[in-house]
Amino acid sequence: MKRLAAVVALLGLATATAACSGGATNKSGSGGGGGLFTTIDVNRPGLEPSAPANPYNPKGNSFLGYNAMKLAWVKNDLTDPNKFYPGIAASWDIAPDNSSVTIHLQPNGKWSDGKPVTAEDVKLSIGIAYTQGSTAFAITPGAAGAAADVQVVDDHTVKVTQDMTNPSMKFARGVLDTFVAPAHVWNSVLPADFWDKLKASRATGADAEKAREEITALGEKIIAFAPPKDTSAGPFTLERVNPSEALLVKNKNFFNAANVAPDQVKFLNYTGNEQIWNYLIGGKLDHAGFTAAPTNVMDRIKQAPGAQTIKGFSPVSVGLAFNQSKKPYDNVHVRKGLAYLIDRDQVTKVASPEGGTAAVTTSGIHQKPAQEWLGAELSALEPYKHDVAKAETEFKAAGLQKKDGKWALADGSPWKFSMHAPAGFSDWISAQENIKSQLATAGVDAEVVTTADYPLYLEELAAGKYDAGFWLLALGPAPYDIYQRLFGASNGWTNVAGKIAHAAPGKGGNWMGGPEEIDVAGVGKVNPGELTGKLNASTAEQAKPIMVELAKAANENLPLIQLWDYVNTQFVNTSRFTGWPEAEADVLRLPAGVWMQLGMVKKKQ
Amino acid sequence: MTVIARRLAGHLARGIVMVLVVATISFFIIRNIPGDPIAARYQKLIEGGASPEAAERATAVMYGFLPKGTLWQQYLDYMSGLFHFDLGISVTNPGTPVTEVLAGAAKWTVLPVLFGTLLSFLVGVILGVYAAVKRTGKLGDVLAVSGSLLHGVPQYVLALLMGAIFTTLLPILPSDGTADILYEPGFNAGYIGSLVEHATLPVVTYALASYGGWILAMKSSVVTVLGDDFILAAELRGMKRSVIFRYIARNAILPLFTILALSLGLLFGGSIFIERIFNYPGLGFLLIDSITNRDYALMGGAFLLITVAIVVANILADLFYSVIDPRVRSTEEVS
Repeated sequence: MKRLAAVVALLGLATATAACSGGATNKSGSGGGGGLFTTIDVNRPGLEPSAPANPYNPKGNSFLGYNAMKLAWVKNDLTDPNKFYPGIAASWDIAPDNSSVTIHLQPNGKWSDGKPVTAEDVKLSIGIAYTQGSTAFAITPGAAGAAADVQVVDDHTVKVTQDMTNPSMKFARGVLDTFVAPAHVWNSVLPADFWDKLKASRATGADAEKAREEITALGEKIIAFAPPKDTSAGPFTLERVNPSEALLVKNKNFFNAANVAPDQVKFLNYTGNEQIWNYLIGGKLDHAGFTAAPTNVMDRIKQAPGAQTIKGFSPVSVGLAFNQSKKPYDNVHVRKGLAYLIDRDQVTKVASPEGGTAAVTTSGIHQKPAQEWLGAELSALEPYKHDVAKAETEFKAAGLQKKDGKWALADGSPWKFSMHAPAGFSDWISAQENIKSQLATAGVDAEVVTTADYPLYLEELAAGKYDAGFWLLALGPAPYDIYQRLFGASNGWTNVAGKIAHAAPGKGGNWMGGPEEIDVAGVGKVNPGELTGKLNASTAEQAKPIMVELAKAANENLPLIQLWDYVNTQFVNTSRFTGWPEAEADVLRLPAGVWMQLGMVKKKQ
Repeated sequence: MTVIARRLAGHLARGIVMVLVVATISFFIIRNIPGDPIAARYQKLIEGGASPEAAERATAVMYGFLPKGTLWQQYLDYMSGLFHFDLGISVTNPGTPVTEVLAGAAKWTVLPVLFGTLLSFLVGVILGVYAAVKRTGKLGDVLAVSGSLLHGVPQYVLALLMGAIFTTLLPILPSDGTADILYEPGFNAGYIGSLVEHATLPVVTYALASYGGWILAMKSSVVTVLGDDFILAAELRGMKRSVIFRYIARNAILPLFTILALSLGLLFGGSIFIERIFNYPGLGFLLIDSITNRDYALMGGAFLLITVAIVVANILADLFYSVIDPRVRSTEEVS
């Protein structure tokens, strides 16, 4: 009995402590001053207390826009990849031919320890970027849009010049989208002869190869680097982390500190969407970036006091991609027939009612920028509206036979259309189940096969094991990024040092297995991979006609059926903070820390 | 050399061989799990709205932390590292040694699960004795039914139920996390209170989930002991009920120690459902995460930790058994 009494007493003690400390948590929750802002980092699940405050470490306790700063913040523009908000840089001059970017630092920029942010910090950060596989600061010989020279003009000015042998329109983006670390804390991570090594790495031969290996090896050392204390030039600095939460406090030395409202920021840990949904349903988060949620969950989230969503452009679409190495998907009429049988509005309504809008056609481009790039040509594209009669015509043109209301292959053998999706991707699985039932109604036997997880899905997709699977595309705003998902490595084309090469289906990552040349009505034969490669160095005006040709090629050849265009849905709560960005604002895809830097997000009075 | 020392030496030798064999088998199984962790991470970032260059940058660095060389070379590196207590570098936590990641997560699993196991063991054993002694009465029935019910309910159902009751219907406990970050970690009332507050639901759920097993096992063991001659002899000699009760408990508990030792060994596997539902980031959480991300080094480290813990627990159980059961000890001494 004594033991039982002891156990009961222990449980009682736990409950009593819980009751007392519960109050303390709520009291602290007010934060004082500008308030406590609670959020999650949607791009980085899982907090790791043992990880350093290091922006280069994928698990590092550096939170983008809060205590990790970039030279500038990329705007969410429909078509222009080179539009930015100020960050460590107050302004920048981009040469008309994109050959250089001159960066002017914030005149009052300071680190949290009071030391000024200087051009030497930027130069060291560029050196670090070379070790991390950056686009503008690449050590791969002949890489597109790589910098040729970095010059410190004065304490607050740095000029970066592009190597014009293989230029890229995104050079300025590659430069300005760079983390900045304090040189007085980080200078030990690069050896004294680093810049000589970098120069040597640009040549050819064994010495250059050795230099490149040494620079790459430095990358691992930099990722593991643990500064003794977080030194931030952002609006916040890291205070402490435990496995479930991270606490940041306001950096009084931030150049725009007067405009930053919250005194503290708390990041919550999560590993899956369910935890984010629970936080949102409980009204715990002031902000969460885009998180896919089924309709019933979304309804519960909206019922939380103060819950609101802000929607904007997200340059991503999803499509049902075919493996054209497999019969009958090598026949364009089969692909077109399937496109006519799928009602995309219905699919989107079922699978992603809040996070997507049904694609108006298959162009390879998200609907919003498609209007900008294609103009009147967009309406000339075949919309593939739901039309059973047209589907039958296409299937007959492909030689398929209809027996007892079911479509069979040309030789009379049964045809089963197999779609794959990774387990856990509830929106993709719902979409495929809906497509399956739509196809069944029209006499096409279809099945949905769930793969154990995403890594396995991608490996098997790339190995050409599936008939069809979902594939992300239209990754704007840069034209090259948009079409490299359709006419890039997955379809056989590789771009090495500006030279385009094509691998046969089933080789070199070519799982889509499309033809190397496509006959496009009104245009003639085009090589879509080569056209895509040209986009890398084209100005917006030069890119437009190429985009039209590629859109037509995608529309006529249908390597995939574009299903829905994603919508960037941001979750905010107005109970504690106001001053959120407007719908469709070009800051929406940036972290809320950047919104605060720009003077948005104020404590509710 | 004493009998116990000889036994210990034998157990240690067998244990080391077992750990090495398990490490070898798990190494080859893990390395043959299909899936590309880096491609998956890239696509996840893209879907989350990251730009292609940001996604490329975030994933490119991961390549440096993937195991290099042929599978055979990787195996040799792994085994050589093992002898230096180096389990490699995690891909999902690049730059951080696996031992550090495991140690960080272990404390959030071992203490709550240990506490939950011991709590359920104590309560289950005591009530199991009562359930057996009073098996013809109402109390015995109630205890037996409660044990069967809780033994039959899956852990995740109990966790969801506890969460719904104490965080939604009667919101007196936090639904997730380990401690409120607003409290300065250290030996202060606020922080310790927050730790206890956050651990209460996982611990109590774990205790409830395993309580049923203990009470049923103890009841069955006591019922067997009750039929033994020495109990009848004690009763005939007119011994006090408390003394007889002690005789029963001490003899009936012996088989349960083996199960307890194995349960303690499995502590390091964490409690995946409970940790997941209460967002309590311990070893179970880490193990699932490492499998999803194909973090070979972390997976290997987690499996190895579980193996070592079970082997050690078995050795301790065996040694402990010979200490607490004089019959085992005397048999060894005779042989």
